[in-house]
Amino acid sequence: MAISKTDIEKLAWLVRLSFSDEELERFTAEFDEIIAFADTINQSIEGGTEQIRSVGARMVSFDELRSDEVAPSLSNEKILSNVEGYNGFFSLERSRK
Amino acid sequence: MRAGISELAARLRNREISSVELTKAYIDAIEKLNPTLNIYVYLTFDTALKAAEKADQMLDEGDAPLICGIPMALKDNICTDGLPTTCCSRILKGFKPYYDATVWEKLKKQGAVLLGKANMDEFAMGNTSETSCYGAPLNPRNTNYVTGGSSGGSAAAVCANLAVYSLGSDTGGSIRLPASFCGVVGLKPTYGAVSRYGLIAYGSSLDQIGPLTNSVKDAAIVFDAIKGGDRRDQTSVDHDYGSSLAECLERDVKGMRIGVAEEFFDGINPEIKSSIDEAIKLFERNGAIIENISLPALKLALPVYYIIACAEASSNLGRYDGIRYGHRASSYTSIDDMITKTRSEGFGDEVKRRIMLGTYVLSSGYYDAYYKKACLIREEINREFDAVFEKCDVLIAPTAPNTAFPLNYKGASPVEMYLADICTVPVNIAGIPAISIPCGEDSRGLPIGMQIIGRRFGEATVLQAAHFYEQSAGKVIDDYEGGAVI
Repeated sequence: MAISKTDIEKLAWLVRLSFSDEELERFTAEFDEIIAFADTINQSIEGGTEQIRSVGARMVSFDELRSDEVAPSLSNEKILSNVEGYNGFFSLERSRK
Repeated sequence: MRAGISELAARLRNREISSVELTKAYIDAIEKLNPTLNIYVYLTFDTALKAAEKADQMLDEGDAPLICGIPMALKDNICTDGLPTTCCSRILKGFKPYYDATVWEKLKKQGAVLLGKANMDEFAMGNTSETSCYGAPLNPRNTNYVTGGSSGGSAAAVCANLAVYSLGSDTGGSIRLPASFCGVVGLKPTYGAVSRYGLIAYGSSLDQIGPLTNSVKDAAIVFDAIKGGDRRDQTSVDHDYGSSLAECLERDVKGMRIGVAEEFFDGINPEIKSSIDEAIKLFERNGAIIENISLPALKLALPVYYIIACAEASSNLGRYDGIRYGHRASSYTSIDDMITKTRSEGFGDEVKRRIMLGTYVLSSGYYDAYYKKACLIREEINREFDAVFEKCDVLIAPTAPNTAFPLNYKGASPVEMYLADICTVPVNIAGIPAISIPCGEDSRGLPIGMQIIGRRFGEATVLQAAHFYEQSAGKVIDDYEGGAVI
């Protein structure tokens, strides 16, 4: 199926990305090829009908779950160490006057 | 062949050399070669020398683990407390994690000496390491060629003797492919065998951490050091491997049942096919039983992989919003605008493509046709592997359809580049272990890699077969001249 520039713009909005006009042209062409590649799974073997299991489910028994205990966690100071915080919160520029 | 971990461990214990002296030799070599090869993106020499001093004390006290005092590298997506970990992405530039990944915590406790963080494809998305925001590392064997990816820096560090060993991560071949292109050994363990806590997530049902080394024995030693369950990664398993895998390598292959699936050889470069055929003959001459098998669903493995990996990536990379860490756009009119500008400035093109594809295949109306169908075919691939491992101990396949690409290869579209992963992705889809070992060179002198694939938690058999080949085949690849002088 052909992908239009409008499709790409909608998708970009969903994932919070923006593209210039030139990037949009290029991405649309590339994405069309990528979707055609992904489509090859639909012209193929009969897909299995068994229930899908997660990878973990193949090797881990979920019969025994660990107890829900409160354990030490990271400090507020550490969590904020990568950004400029304000009074122990993540801070942003005021965007609404 | 250059000294491996056990030889260096013996020299450290005999006091022939100290860990500080060994570390200084690697630092000198890195200072000389890294400006050209671009293997390390962040150097930790100060902390390395302190760790080496501590390792020397541990060695003096006796009973130190085998890897104590040995200098190594970590891929730049493995979290290191207080040291930059950026996934080679603009969006994480300057990010310093506030905790250690479990693998690094384990190695540190055993006296490992970290030389630095190794270059990689941005967020591990790529197979040449050229999507790194720091520029591509160069293949030490021929600097006109790529290292492979995404753990390109980790493979090149070992190849150029700028680290004794390194850790990489493998979502669709990212340990094995660069191991193949650089002519080193790369082990992708069983999904769940090694904790992924602290590995920055790409495709969570596929990601696995593993070692890149100069020999199969070293790979077994490092795997022994990092394996095991971890309550902080609920997909990890405390599997009982019996004993140290490094101590069980000396086994011949008489009676070993080796499967060869024609599907792995479709479209393979003839020079690579010829090298793998020779290797298969060597196993056969030594008593292995070769079984021709078929895995029909493998022809769909590549699109299945890209659908599942990108779907998971689109969710995992949703966290990069500029609020809590990493890059943040400098001017914006609303929070939504800030997030969009931050992500558009911070992510490279390949990451954007994969986030877009992942969101597309999960979106209403396309979910059944792509994501759900891919999960069903994944089950079929698993069933086929399970059936094959009823009658085979291991499978042999090429690691890649080609040897290393030239740098800045412009002729290929994104989809054509994805084809380089065709031999490696089935292993991740099934969560099984595989190793890539060198098995020859092409006419340009570029290394050829061979995969040995095992059943879930079958690392012991995989390593034994690989070790047997390494010991029996003789010299299949030239040694790299350069790196640390010890």
